[in-house]
Parts: sequence; structure tokens; C-alpha cells
Amino acid sequence: MHGDTQIETSGGERLAESLELLDDMSRDFARSLDIELTLQSALTRITDYLGAEGGALFLLEADETILHCQCCVGAANITGLTLRSDHGIIGRSVQNNAGDIVRDVTDDPSFDGSVDTKTGFTTRSILCAPLSVKEERIGAIELINKQGGDGLFDDSDLTLLQVLSSSAALAILNARMASELVEQEKTKRELELAAKIQRSLLPAEPPGPYPISGLNIPARTVSGDFYDFFELDDGRISFCLGDVSGKGINAAMLMAKTASLYHCLGKTETRPGKLLARLNEEICDTATRGMFVTLVGGIYDPKSMTARIANAGHEPPLKRTPEGLYESFEAEAPPLGIAVAIIPEDGYPEFDIRLEGGALYLFSDGVTEGKLAKGDMLGADGVRKILDENADMSLGKRLQSVVAGLDRGGDLHDDITILGIDSRAEELGAHHGDSGGTPAAPIVPRLEYAIPARAARLRDVRHAVRRFLEDVGYDGTQVPDIVLIIDEACQNIIRHGYGGDSDQWIEIAVALEETGLVILLRDFAYPVNEAEIEPRDLDDVRPGGLGVHFMREIMDEISYLPQEGDYGNILRMVKRATEN
Amino acid sequence: MEHSVRDDAGAIVAELAGDVDLESSPSARTILLECVGKGKSVYVDMAGVIYIDSSGVASLVESFQSARAGGTGFTLISVSEEVMRVIQLARLDKIFTIHDSLDTARQAGD
Repeated sequence: MHGDTQIETSGGERLAESLELLDDMSRDFARSLDIELTLQSALTRITDYLGAEGGALFLLEADETILHCQCCVGAANITGLTLRSDHGIIGRSVQNNAGDIVRDVTDDPSFDGSVDTKTGFTTRSILCAPLSVKEERIGAIELINKQGGDGLFDDSDLTLLQVLSSSAALAILNARMASELVEQEKTKRELELAAKIQRSLLPAEPPGPYPISGLNIPARTVSGDFYDFFELDDGRISFCLGDVSGKGINAAMLMAKTASLYHCLGKTETRPGKLLARLNEEICDTATRGMFVTLVGGIYDPKSMTARIANAGHEPPLKRTPEGLYESFEAEAPPLGIAVAIIPEDGYPEFDIRLEGGALYLFSDGVTEGKLAKGDMLGADGVRKILDENADMSLGKRLQSVVAGLDRGGDLHDDITILGIDSRAEELGAHHGDSGGTPAAPIVPRLEYAIPARAARLRDVRHAVRRFLEDVGYDGTQVPDIVLIIDEACQNIIRHGYGGDSDQWIEIAVALEETGLVILLRDFAYPVNEAEIEPRDLDDVRPGGLGVHFMREIMDEISYLPQEGDYGNILRMVKRATEN
Repeated sequence: MEHSVRDDAGAIVAELAGDVDLESSPSARTILLECVGKGKSVYVDMAGVIYIDSSGVASLVESFQSARAGGTGFTLISVSEEVMRVIQLARLDKIFTIHDSLDTARQAGD
């Protein structure tokens, strides 16, 4: 700073004074617990020191379109006054991120006299410096009317104001970051408490061999998944596994509610279909509209080795026979909480599954869509492979083996929950099998298409995708499904990524590979925070959770690929050829 | 998306046609809610709807719920195979009252 020639030309004495003021101010900022009070005193000192008649400090509001007067010194009190951030001389300074001297405001077309009209003050000259740290704009300091001398601010005044502003800007930023940290710490503690309560809702593992076992690993502190099992008086066991749409605290709270309801109502209502219908009513009645829960509930009878289940829109439970054959049971009814009074009088459809020495597995999509260490998804085939390899292990170890292969090093993509029912129930020997997957083939895009993120352009996307699919020989029934899924995925980008219609881009690549159709969608928005992807909101009547539900129904794999840099997402979806 | 609304023997028939997508579903929602708000039975003729997405389905659900709350009928008629597929994906096929035509809907008393 002291190398600045403009300060030096004002004389050594002034330089020393300036540095002293800067030093004092920096110390005040560092010591202060109350940034607002410190800013006021800093502004007073700056205004005095530079001999201005008045001064004001403006801060940008969160959306950066409005400047509001944080504090002021001098004749007119304009604290709280708001201005458009591109308005007036101060707005210009903020926009250009540059200081400014206006010796005679009447010569400057940017000058807005309306404040003077309101306050009765007469502005003649203005000295203005932005408050910013690197590219981050915070606001600006404005000094009005130099007193004494020729009544004009000079270059050395501007240089000094800029130096002081920089110091103030850094202090404001530090204070903001500190208060954010405090907030984050508080939230973290609260989440940990919530997580503790959630864990208490999961059943304890019974000692010794038991026909049912479960595992839940939350992606974050709290979980949107849950499972439960408990014995009824007649020796049968009630069990369930559920997945709440979305993530984060709202999903966690609905999880707690659904799990509690199941545990409570499940003791008296032993018909799974009826029980799910009652849960549906309760959730529709009181849950936030647009949130839903996929859930499999059932009763297992160890004597007959039969599980009677009902499935509300959840991943199909998987049965494995002792011979290693698999059977899965698709949901025939929508998730809980989708709509009121949609379930027949006698409840959700029930199925009897005879285990006959085999086992039944229930899992959330966090398992099938979970990533292996190499970055590939485990998939339903991967789950089967692990179950085959570990068939001789105890039930608990088998479940752990499925989960063990999933990469938990980084941020977990989704909660991982799995529950198993084993009709043999005895503890078996233990050795761990290899749970690795095979890497996917490289992607060769065949259709590449890009649009600005606008609802009106989705029709073009649908047209291009439809034509491509027909060209590569997809037949009638699959084409509309894929077109719908790409449309829904683009909508999510427009709505959640870009916050509505935008001029930013969506890039779409569709490739027909040997294994099936691979779709990549790239956006340039901030990285997806899935907690913020709200499920369907009926009040808003725009897509959300329902679109995601379609995507999960139709596609075999959905995942986000790691993206370089600070922004952008690549969504990868696969429709396997074998399941056409 | 094109639309027309007409009175038909004490009921309202709302015809939708074209694409009911992210761009047009807000107006589909407004149109259908207005129809439901008149307190009469509403038949939504979907014969001309070529494409519907989740936002379009959501506007049907909201209108259906509003009609249900008001105790009036809300029936979909002439639903094409492609639109039906999307309604089935949402697992709403058993929830909505759906008929082949206005006549069959009336015969069934819906």
C-alpha cells in the first residue's frame, strides 16, 4: 500500500496518518463482535478523515439487484434507503467494481437527485469506492461534498477511500462467513440429534439366529429410508422397508412419521394391504403435498415359510430360491401419499411369497443405484451376483456383503437400506466374496442435441429424440417412453438447475450401445443437491417428483457422473436392451 | 396445446388437444380448474392430446382432487394409448374415471 505514489505525493505525513487509520480500522474489525456497529464507526472515521460533509455505506442484498443503506454519517439520515443496484453513481461504482470521483454531480447523467429532493440535502460532489473482495461484490461507500479547500475530492482521496473500503469489505465478508459457520454448526448439531432419534426407530438386531435382518446407511446425517420388523403375538413377524421421496430433513421427518405409524398400526392391523391403505390415508391427510413414500410391508410366517406382502410403488422385492433362481415382485399400486382415496376398499393388493428354504430381499434404490468403487452402479444384477457368491453365509453377512461393495468413501448418492428374510434362519459359515462389478463400455454418442433451457424448446427435443430412436430401429412402444424420460429430465434441469426458463444450455446425448440405450444430459447449473429436488408439488402443478418417478419406472439405471469444475451436472440414464 | 370448452346437457366438456407439456400445462390447469369451479360435472376430452408429461398429469390430478372436494364428477374421455401409458406410469389409471366416449361415460352414470 505505501508504495502507492498518489498517497506519497500527498506528503509523508498524510501517508503515516492514513496507515494509522487503516491499522486502527483493521484492528477494530478484527476485534469486533458486532459488524454493524463497527461499520458505523469506520464510516464516521473515514468521512471525518477525508473531510466529507456526509458519507453512506451501501450493501448489496442477496439477489444483487438492490442496494440498501447500511449506515450513514452527516446531514441527512438515509439509513435503510434502498436503490436499484444499477442506479446512480453508487450503482455504477458497484457494477463496474471501480472507484469514482464526480466533482460536479450536475455534469454526471448517472446522478439521481431524487434522494436530495427527499432529504433537502444538496449534493455537489461525490467520491465513491466499491466494497468488494476479488470478484465478490458486497456494496460501496459513498462520500459527499468535500469540506474546505477547493471543495473537490482528489485522486489521493479516492486511493485512500479504496484502500479503506477494501479493508471494510474483507471484514464484512469475514463476519458473514463466521455467522454462516455458526449457523452450520448449529444445524449440524440439530441434525445429529434428529439422526439419533431416527436410529432409535430402527429395530435392534435380535441375538442369535433370526429369520429377518436389516441394514440402513444414511447418505447424509439423516435418512429418508427405513425398515422395521417386530413379532406379533401369534409368532408371525411384521416387516417393512420404505423410501421417502427426496432427501434431507423433510424426507427424514416423513420417514420418522411413516416408520412410527407402521410400527404402531402394524401391531393391530395384520393384513399388509389394509395396513398400507391406512398409512396412505394418514400420509395423504397430513403430509406435505407432493411428498410420497414407496414401501413394501408384509407379514412373515416362519412356520409356513410364507411372506404375505403389499407393495406401494417400491422397488420389486427379490426372492432367491435355494437353487439360486430369482423372482421379483413388481409394485401394482402407487406410492403412499400420491393421492387420496385411490386405493380399493380392501386395500393394496397382497401377494403370498413361499420361501421354501429360500430368502426374500427388500432394498431401496440406494442399493441398486449405488456406486461401486470403480464408479459403476451395482444394479439389480450386481445384487444377485453378490447374493449368489455369498449364499452360504449368514443372512446378516449376506446383507453386509451387498452393502460392502458400495463406495461409501465420498458423498453417498442415496440412503442404502436392505432387509432380508431367510426361511432357513440358521447361522452359516462366513467368508467374504468378491463384490466387484465390471466396468461399462465407453460411451459413443449417436444423437447430440443442445437447447437453451426453455420450456418452449422441449418440443424440439422430443422431436429430435423420436426421430433418432426410430432411425436406430426402436419400435413403437418404447419410443414414447424414452421421449418422455428425456423430456422429464430436461424439465428437471430447467426447473431445479436453472430455476426456470434460462438462456443457459442443456446438452443431450443419446447413444445406442450394445448393452442398451445410454442417455447423457449435461447442464451448467450448480451441482445437484438432491435434498433440494422437491418431489411433485400439486399446488404448483409443474413436474418434480412425478417426473423422477417416471424416470425410475422406465430407466434401468440413473446416476450422476462426477463433473470437473465447480458447476454443471451430467445425468446418465440407461435403458438396457435385454429389458425392452 | 389447443382447447375448447362447451356446455353439454348440464355438464361441461373441455377438449384438450396437442401437447400438454411443461410449456402448456399451466394453462391446462387454469382451464380445467375453472371448469371444475362451475360446480358441474366435467368431461375432459383428450382425443386430440398427442403428448402429456408429468406436469400435464399433475394438472389433471389437481383438477380431479378439486372436483372430488366439490363433490362433482371429473371424467376423462377418449384417452389415447400414449396418454394412457403416462397415466398408468403415474399409477393413476385406477384413480381417474376414464371412458371411451362421452356417451359411454353418460351410460355408465359418470
